[in-house]
Amino acid sequence: MLEVKPKPAVTAPTAKSKVRVLSLLVEDGPNMLTKVSGAVRRRGFHVRGISVGPSRQPGRSRITLEIDHGHAEADQVRKQLERLVEVLEVEDLTGNEMHSRELVVAKVAASELGALLERGARILSTSSDGTTVEFSGDADEVSDFVHELARHGIVDVVRSGPVVMRRTE
Amino acid sequence: MILEALEREGVEYIFGYPGGANLPIYQHLHEHPKLKHILVRHEQGAAHMADGYARASGKPGVVFATSGPGALNLVTGLCTAYMDSVPMIAITGQVNSTQVGRDAFQESDVIGATSSVTKHSYLVTKIDQLPRVVHEAFHIATTGRPGPVLIDVCKDVQQAEAERVTPEYLEIPGYKLNGHVNLDRARQAAQALGRAERPVILAGHGVLLSHAERELMQMAEAAAAPVGTTLLGIGAFPVKHPLSLHMTGFMGTGWCLKAVQNADVLMMVGMRVDDRVTAKLSEFAPNVKTFIHVDIDESEMGKNVRPHIELVADARLALEAMLPHVGKVEEHRDKWLAQIDAWREEHPLRYRHSNGQLQPQDVLIDMYRRAKSEAIVVADVGQNQIWAALWWNYDRPGLFINSGGSGTMGFALPAAIGAKFGRPDLPVWCVAGEGGFVMTAQELSVAVEHQLDVKIVLLNNFSLGMVRQFQDDFYGGVRSQVDLTHMPDFVKLCEAYGLPALRVEKFEDIAPSFDAAERTKGPFLIDFRIDPEANVYPIVPLGKGLNEFREAPEYA
Repeated sequence: MLEVKPKPAVTAPTAKSKVRVLSLLVEDGPNMLTKVSGAVRRRGFHVRGISVGPSRQPGRSRITLEIDHGHAEADQVRKQLERLVEVLEVEDLTGNEMHSRELVVAKVAASELGALLERGARILSTSSDGTTVEFSGDADEVSDFVHELARHGIVDVVRSGPVVMRRTE
Repeated sequence: MILEALEREGVEYIFGYPGGANLPIYQHLHEHPKLKHILVRHEQGAAHMADGYARASGKPGVVFATSGPGALNLVTGLCTAYMDSVPMIAITGQVNSTQVGRDAFQESDVIGATSSVTKHSYLVTKIDQLPRVVHEAFHIATTGRPGPVLIDVCKDVQQAEAERVTPEYLEIPGYKLNGHVNLDRARQAAQALGRAERPVILAGHGVLLSHAERELMQMAEAAAAPVGTTLLGIGAFPVKHPLSLHMTGFMGTGWCLKAVQNADVLMMVGMRVDDRVTAKLSEFAPNVKTFIHVDIDESEMGKNVRPHIELVADARLALEAMLPHVGKVEEHRDKWLAQIDAWREEHPLRYRHSNGQLQPQDVLIDMYRRAKSEAIVVADVGQNQIWAALWWNYDRPGLFINSGGSGTMGFALPAAIGAKFGRPDLPVWCVAGEGGFVMTAQELSVAVEHQLDVKIVLLNNFSLGMVRQFQDDFYGGVRSQVDLTHMPDFVKLCEAYGLPALRVEKFEDIAPSFDAAERTKGPFLIDFRIDPEANVYPIVPLGKGLNEFREAPEYA
């Protein structure tokens, strides 16, 4: 029998862990994502989380990457990405004070949702077979929330990658 | 429009092959007599020719291929150029922009297939992108750390009419050039080298690319530091100079490897410090207290060896900035240089010349005696490559061309053809084993068609020599799939292609065969039947440290 272990919760990366958090400003184009992901894959790095969205500048996108740099020096990830002509800026936010937010959307069977709403969940829709809620938070909060969801009978759940911004006071 | 743009960039030669998806370009080729098109026999040959042309002339090589198989046949050639930082522009035809993604005839995802072996690539779907893209591509291919750039042009774009626009300036915000030198670090590096007891400088291809040979020499002499070169750095420092360590790496000279392993300060200039240079990484240069790394590509810093002083800059500018700060050289230096001379005596390059068989070194020594430093040698990959690297005393840059990083068999013949187009003033010698030679032998037609003065030295040992040597020494002596006795009669093969050739089996026939080659205008091949057991020495066993190099046995 295979022993199924619960997945460990995603912990916020620190400067010591092998995970780097990078914020990239990239030129939009048909090959942009292929090139970024190709550079990551080729060097033996592993993507733990990714999110892509438009930036404030037209024609340019913002990518947030959570990357395990494996046996390479931590800074190699940034250096390899900066070699790409499509990449305009790479900011390594690892270990910095930052806002890191992830989104989870889930449908649960239970009708008693007090515990979820108390954590800050918002109801998106209700139907006869369940209620769909959304929740955002940092990686730990989202993981805790997903654990909480399990007690409510998950019908379906989707999670986003992180979006990250440096925190300035 | 593409052809006009190429003319504007000063292109002289295009190495290419037409097909369905680039016919509109070829239709107008005859209207541009300044662009000389060389019709190859296989697209891989085109890429290697452009590569050889670029390495010999210093100008970017240009390649044309059609979509699908045509473009994909370039991949090995692109990778060869990419690994060795050679400027190249590949222009491939793509199916109509409206057909992209529909698995059209001869459609393939060329950008996807080549993005890991190009410095940059473009898919052009609109005519108004074209002038800017071509101009940018040449800029990116030739500046910073050079490399191949691919432009995939949809067929409908090739046919489109547009107003002629000359891009006046470049704006590539994501392309960063590391030009300026951190002067503090340059001073630190120079002082470390000056104060060192046992300094060594290693020079790579970057020194040649930035034309820093003079500055390297000044630096070596000012710091009284011996200089070894990588395989691709050959020519950066004259082999006969008293401070020369010749070649480093896992097939480098014994005295160079001992110097590296005993150095206390090691400065690596314009090189990637790859596994062929370090051998077992954890045992590389174990006595070094200060690693200095100079390279234009920031991502090379700490990729393999973590430097104590890093200079992300052009090699010439960095060396220039260091020179005034070397200061008074540490007095122990004489002892160190005397030690290196002793190692040079103790570990000379040697080979067996007494068993009655033709030795590859004899062939190369005779070649060198004739050509001195007035010829370009283009080597293939394998034993022939290392013999050609070690047994010529290259004393100027740009005379030795080979596929170092990628190790592409079949490189030599097309690259030699390209080199001859790039430097028609210099004799060009192609040195290859029979295994690599037959991989691209079809390009003999190009040499014959253009009556190119390329002399081919085939070091024919009827086997995949380097693989055979590895199997003998490191894989329990099991010879597996290395026997190449079933090969064409190369003299007859050349006859079929239309070039003269000779077979040489005895030492006495070496000189007359070279005489014949030199007397003959146009291509010429000599099939040297060499000792099938001849090996490359020194060699570091796979997985071992540099200090464990094995030398040629002391032959009677």
